[in-house]
Amino acid sequence: MNDALLELCQISYRYPDGSVGLDACSIAIQRGSRNVLIGANGSGKTTLFQHTNGLLRPQTGVVRYAGMAVDYSRAGLRALRSQVGMVFQNPDHQLFSASVQEDVSFGPLNLGLDMATVRQRVAAALQAVGMTEHADKAVHNLSFGQKKRVCIAGVLAMQPTLLILDEPMAGLDHAMQQELLAVLDQLHAAGITLLMATHDIDFAYRWAERIHLMAAGRCTASLNATDLGEHAEALAAVGLPLPQVITLHRALVERGILPANPPPRCTASLLTMLAEAKITQETTC
Amino acid sequence: MLIEQSAYTNRWRRVSPAAKGLFTAGAFIAVFAANSPLTAAIIASLVVALTVFGAGIAPSCYLRVATPALFFLALGSLSLAFSLDIGDGTPALKLTSGGLLKLAEVGTRSLGSLAALLFLVLTTPLIDLIALLRRLKVPALLLEIMVLCYRMLFVFSAAVHETLTAQSARLGYATPRLVIRSLGGLAANLTLQVWQRAHALHLAALARNNDGPLRFLEPSFAHSRRDCRIAGLAGAGLIVLAVSWA
Ligand SMILES: Nc1ncnc2c1ncn2[C@@H]1O[C@H](COP(=O)(O)OP(=O)(O)O)[C@@H](O)[C@H]1O
Ligand SMILES: [Mg+2]
Repeated sequence: MNDALLELCQISYRYPDGSVGLDACSIAIQRGSRNVLIGANGSGKTTLFQHTNGLLRPQTGVVRYAGMAVDYSRAGLRALRSQVGMVFQNPDHQLFSASVQEDVSFGPLNLGLDMATVRQRVAAALQAVGMTEHADKAVHNLSFGQKKRVCIAGVLAMQPTLLILDEPMAGLDHAMQQELLAVLDQLHAAGITLLMATHDIDFAYRWAERIHLMAAGRCTASLNATDLGEHAEALAAVGLPLPQVITLHRALVERGILPANPPPRCTASLLTMLAEAKITQETTC
Repeated sequence: MLIEQSAYTNRWRRVSPAAKGLFTAGAFIAVFAANSPLTAAIIASLVVALTVFGAGIAPSCYLRVATPALFFLALGSLSLAFSLDIGDGTPALKLTSGGLLKLAEVGTRSLGSLAALLFLVLTTPLIDLIALLRRLKVPALLLEIMVLCYRMLFVFSAAVHETLTAQSARLGYATPRLVIRSLGGLAANLTLQVWQRAHALHLAALARNNDGPLRFLEPSFAHSRRDCRIAGLAGAGLIVLAVSWA
């Protein structure tokens, strides 16, 4: 627990109209890990995210970044926001400028970097999300998936330590989701800590190292993805089923078709296991 | 949107906007310095030819963009040439003395200015024009408003379109009564959206560490200096033509 990059302790937040955003919510994100925040619509994911880079200030509780309580002064917020990058759910809410390149340059210029460095960072960020050839395009001529990537590039260009993505898969088709995941894998390999909101348990199980469950403004459990299978009750408590691949694998184990270990994390590896099991059966008889 | 399209797809998209601006300015000066309607007309046609054959704007597209402006130009010119004569009781349209010459002068000059302006907007996307204005030290506040308005234009036209479709799908425009009701709903909905978007954009700016002025990277253009030199020469050529043509 000592290596927590970001820690929220007992955060409560009530919106001005009285609706509860967060209710004594605690969560810890380990440095370099892949995290998923999973919960129904309205469970408080977006509200929690807005606390991670100081857009909202907790009414009770503390936010700690790298072991230090967040300082809400101008300079403190500046430091926090240059470390914690946030990609919003709706790209049209995030993209300011009419041109791709200009928009990506917005964050680094706010950091006070010089033009040469900014140019270099913009190019690198666009390259990382595979949008180099669209650098001079107008934002409104891009597809939804491309806009999303520009949003990510705009945050990457600030070189954050922790990247937060609010429902990044929403609205993307299958191919675009795969491309986005490839981008995220690269970022993770480069040492960036990732935290993403979703409500797809199968995806969370496949992708994340750690899964945080949200319900009614509270983080009810933080689980290692590897032992998710043992926490069916915790999942049921927030209205989620076990990932399908776990259920399927268990049924196959029960019939003696597959070994219990190692448990597959996605359908593809389950299929591979099946293919292998068949071969061993054939060779034994 | 026709203008948008050609601005992004024309042959001279990658030419520095400074060069295009310079040439446009040259063409403007030349048209006004022209000592006869014929010269102005020649300059106008040269600029049109350059837009169509040089930058590769399709003639049909050019015509469609120019038509509304030409219509107003024609209306204005005619009112210049004729005057209403009510001297002997019955009103009659009369060609004013020297009216034709004036018509030719103003008409060709306006045509020339129109051609110059169309050259600029049909070859240069607004995002490049804004970047150019920024380099010309136009006040930052003005440019920020331009950038945001331009961006919001597309966001809102999408929002209007979506709301209209959703309303029509549920028969919102079936009767005149319903039309008024639905339009009211549309306005209310848009007002709310404007407010929410403004708030969301503010949050997004804060999240990316913004603390006041909006700063953006200037686009860079290869061969900018060379392009400017060529454009400057071409513009100067037009001016020389304008003043020396007998
Ligand atoms: N701007 C707001 N004003 C009032 N209530 C809000 C606002 N934003 C969110 N809420 C409320 O806070 C709760 C959590 O919302 P949110 O964090 O957006 O959830 P999620 O992102 O998980 O869908 C919901 O009950 C929602 O109605
Ligand atoms: Mg949300």
